Amino acid sequence: MTLQALIVVAAALFGIGVYGALSQQSFVMIMMGLELMLNGTILAGGSMWALTTGGSPKGQMLVVVLMTVMAVEAAMGFALVIGIYRVRKADITEKIKRLKG
Amino acid sequence: MNALRVVIAVVSVGAVSVAGIYLAAWVDLLVGRAVAGLEVRPLDALSAPLRWGAATALKTRTTTERPDAETWALAPALLAALAAVGLAAVPLAPGLLAADVANGIVLFGAAMALVVVAVFLQGWSPNSPLPMIGGYRFIAEGLSYEIPLAVVLIAAALPARSLAIAPIVTSQEHLWNIVRQPLGLPLYLMAGLGLAFWGPLALPEGQDLAGGSSLETSGVSRILWRTAQLLVLVAVAAMGAAVFLGGWLGPLFPGAAWMIVKTIILLVPLIATRHFVARVPTERYVVVSWAILIPLSLLDVFIAGIQALVAAR
Amino acid sequence: MILNVTFWAFSALAVFSGWRVFRADSMVRAAYWLLLSFAAVGIILVLLKAEFLGLILILMMGGEMTIMAVFMVAFMMNPAGLNPMTMVHRNSVAIVAGVVSFLAIAALGLFARFPVARAPAGVDPTRKLGVELLGNSMLVFQTAGVTLLAAMIAAIAISSARGRYGDADQGSVEPDQMVTAPAGDVAAAAAHDPAPVISPGVHQ
Repeated sequence: MTLQALIVVAAALFGIGVYGALSQQSFVMIMMGLELMLNGTILAGGSMWALTTGGSPKGQMLVVVLMTVMAVEAAMGFALVIGIYRVRKADITEKIKRLKG
Repeated sequence: MNALRVVIAVVSVGAVSVAGIYLAAWVDLLVGRAVAGLEVRPLDALSAPLRWGAATALKTRTTTERPDAETWALAPALLAALAAVGLAAVPLAPGLLAADVANGIVLFGAAMALVVVAVFLQGWSPNSPLPMIGGYRFIAEGLSYEIPLAVVLIAAALPARSLAIAPIVTSQEHLWNIVRQPLGLPLYLMAGLGLAFWGPLALPEGQDLAGGSSLETSGVSRILWRTAQLLVLVAVAAMGAAVFLGGWLGPLFPGAAWMIVKTIILLVPLIATRHFVARVPTERYVVVSWAILIPLSLLDVFIAGIQALVAAR
Repeated sequence: MILNVTFWAFSALAVFSGWRVFRADSMVRAAYWLLLSFAAVGIILVLLKAEFLGLILILMMGGEMTIMAVFMVAFMMNPAGLNPMTMVHRNSVAIVAGVVSFLAIAALGLFARFPVARAPAGVDPTRKLGVELLGNSMLVFQTAGVTLLAAMIAAIAISSARGRYGDADQGSVEPDQMVTAPAGDVAAAAAHDPAPVISPGVHQ
């Protein structure tokens, strides 16, 4: 369980997340891609804390902040999905060409 | 030595699970007969759970059109596993703890948060309308009971200054948490009933849905589902006994005996609610939970915080 | 040795279930594959002695992924996976971007030199985190709390059924966009910007 191995696993999760966020058409699936990217980031942050900081709580703080980011992302993402559906009846990216209004 | 202790703890969790499930099924039957005005025959009722199990296992298995077979098979096993993890987090006696983690109360909370997943999958997978409505109902219910459950457990951990459960038990040496935090235990038990979708809070499996989320489940899956549900109740009662009733603390008898007595004291009323209290409509439960139970649980943690500050002085 | 085997098993599980998220035909399955990926990462964090963070991650994602599943069922065609389904655009570009970001971060992990300093044994990391949260990093903690509050208010404002220019589900258009229609006429505004008809099966 070396740092290198952990970073490679985190990179794999992040890469799959990038693929999902870029390739999916459905808003909710794009959110899943973003969450997977954050999942990889949390793993990287946690392993950095465990193996390089000598137990300084600052590393754990970073993971707490990342979890906050994830919660905000989920709340705003779900709200935007509802909002866009109400106004435009759109559930995939191709249906919103204009961002205004 | 340490490994031996873990083995003993795991075996005792298994024994407590089996005994607890059997006791819960037996008490349920006795209370049901007593309430219905029938003759209560405790010895006859002793074999009733086994007879029910044998009959259910022998019945022809039913299935639906194009179910999600894998998740359907997974749901009861997941519920049983989560309940077992919850029970494993409870110390049955000093040092007798299967899941010896520093954050026992968070482990219990995490396992219980995933119960929603198991019930939703059980309702979703058969590809059938009434179970699916039951699954959706449980999501509404779960989002309502989860916050009071987590908050009252955190309040109970405050005087111990630790998230491990053994220090929480020993912190009640002079005064049990049920006295120190009078709001804690009632709120916890209400959330626990929701967690086990039992009695007045059997919203996903109500009779208005003809059995709801487990309507289409038959055979071994059905047996596992019912036993897992009872195991959730046992885990809730055991955790309540440890966290609010002083766990293994008590005079004369060994700790494990006290723990068993206290668990039974909580388990029997929980089981009996099914025969005494009517089922609550989903909307009313959600409104009551968000408007009353969550503010009350915040008040509970506030009281616990003030007490901790005063004690630290 | 046992720790290593467990670590590799859960790493493989995290990556495999992460990959399955975008290959599942059932929306509910996709959401719960993601939950499995998070749970595997949570267990790896527990193995790394970040016990509190790992368990909190699992606790948090259990609720969030269930809401995610409900959203998927509500907003997507073919939610139950009765038909095979892919809804992707620019797939090859996305694959290249994913592979490139994987290689870049993995190279960083493999070739960069990081200090080696494991946490000392006998220190409770949860206690240290708690003291840090309410001590030196109080400002960060409070900022996170205020951010969450702002997100809650914003989410309610955005998803509210009553929009700024009338009911949100009528198709609301801000006044300066309504050239032909008289201001305030919601029905005419909706006609000016007709809501596209939902047509399943139009994918690239």
